[in-house]
Amino acid sequence: MAASSAVHCGLHRGAVMAAPRARWACGMAAPRSWRLFGAVCLLRLPRITQPLQKEEEEMTALMGQIELEKSHYSDHEIRKLEEEELLRRRKESAYDDEEPGKTVIMAQDLEDKWEQKFLRFKAAPRITDADESNSRTSLNRKLDRNLMLLVKQKIGNQELWLLPQEEWQPGETLRNTAERAMATFLGDHIEAKVLGNAPYGIYKYKFPRAIRTEDNVGAKVFFFKAFLQSSDLSQAEKKGNHLWVTKDELGDYLKPEYLKKVNRFLLDLPVLNKY
Amino acid sequence: MSAALPKVLCLKKGVLLKQVFALSRAATPRESHLCAAGDALLSCHRHYRSHPAHGIGRFKYLLPKEVPKKKKDRVQMKEINAGTDYEYGDINIQMTSYDMCLVEHFAQYVHKLCNRLSIRVNESYAMPTKTEEVLFLEGRGSKPQLDAVLTTHQRVIQISHLSSTFAPILLEIIQSNQPEGVHLLVKEHTEADFKSRLKARPELEELKAQMN
Repeated sequence: MAASSAVHCGLHRGAVMAAPRARWACGMAAPRSWRLFGAVCLLRLPRITQPLQKEEEEMTALMGQIELEKSHYSDHEIRKLEEEELLRRRKESAYDDEEPGKTVIMAQDLEDKWEQKFLRFKAAPRITDADESNSRTSLNRKLDRNLMLLVKQKIGNQELWLLPQEEWQPGETLRNTAERAMATFLGDHIEAKVLGNAPYGIYKYKFPRAIRTEDNVGAKVFFFKAFLQSSDLSQAEKKGNHLWVTKDELGDYLKPEYLKKVNRFLLDLPVLNKY
Repeated sequence: MSAALPKVLCLKKGVLLKQVFALSRAATPRESHLCAAGDALLSCHRHYRSHPAHGIGRFKYLLPKEVPKKKKDRVQMKEINAGTDYEYGDINIQMTSYDMCLVEHFAQYVHKLCNRLSIRVNESYAMPTKTEEVLFLEGRGSKPQLDAVLTTHQRVIQISHLSSTFAPILLEIIQSNQPEGVHLLVKEHTEADFKSRLKARPELEELKAQMN
């Protein structure tokens, strides 16, 4: 059992390891002094786009106005203008010509119909966390950000908030370990996809001296990223100790050293938009 | 002053030409900018055929003859997928939406992102627009009344030499920045995709069927 207090080793590894798979897959004959864990960072991708900033909104308004003024009339608008012209002429000439167009649907009627239909349509609310009152266990919170799964796990003699992790068994790949970790915490029928075979990050710590032996120096946790395909998790959640949090809120739950390593591979949306 | 120049040019030759032009540049700042500006090649006074210096600047006849390019459809290149480097071959990123501006902007964004991340973009093209008419049935059994016209736009970006360690990161960035209403599909490039861009030729197919 891995110990809780983590003494951070001075070594520092890159976030994306390009190591070939063979290294982890074949069972090593000599006993390892580091225990290996595979952890999964399950992400729910954002469902709506982020709200525009002030400058972006002003720019959109300006561009919209320029485009409107530069644009030509569409078929519907031409038809509407012609019919208005016809009506006006008919009124002025006091119903001189017979009215052939009585049964024809006017463009204005169509517009009224569409307007009514639009008023009947109700869009889904963008801010549902206001409804949920900041309950961090639901998936409907913060629809424009990434949410990731945190579970409470017992390590050593402490209960800690972590990304779900499992110990690596010889003979399987680390990716399988991560998928197994996901399955233990969320059930078997999870529609989540791990995209690549390479881990995203690594967290290494040594056990406290009391537990440390020659064979068991410490543990290495390899992080994999998985994306949630469907948001229906009602039948999947068995254990109650789970949370869905954004990157900023991770600091409330994770230990500082662990958090530092996890933050290295988490892409947060306002940063991505800078491209 | 410009009337005197042709006579000067005919009489003197070679090295003196440049001197004459230097003089003319200083003397006539206003007229004949072309003569005043450059060297003998830019001169608007070309020698007549009988002049010994006629055709003095020709060089195109010295270059090797180029074979004219045949306008045939190029066969696509296909790369091996899992080589020793774990690289993907040609990958198509297809973006579909009803809103043309949105999908075009998103395609531009993905293209620029790939440029920025040094991923080679082979092609970036648009598939033809599909138009669908939607007829609403007002009540049971009555004639379809209201209709709407929906246009589906598709943009495709083809990239290659994507390493398998970088592919998940790229996919994550694209997925996170996907706007609402745009379908994203990332798949490998196949012959069928290539053929779907070409027009069908029914006569050719008939003849082929007759042959077989």
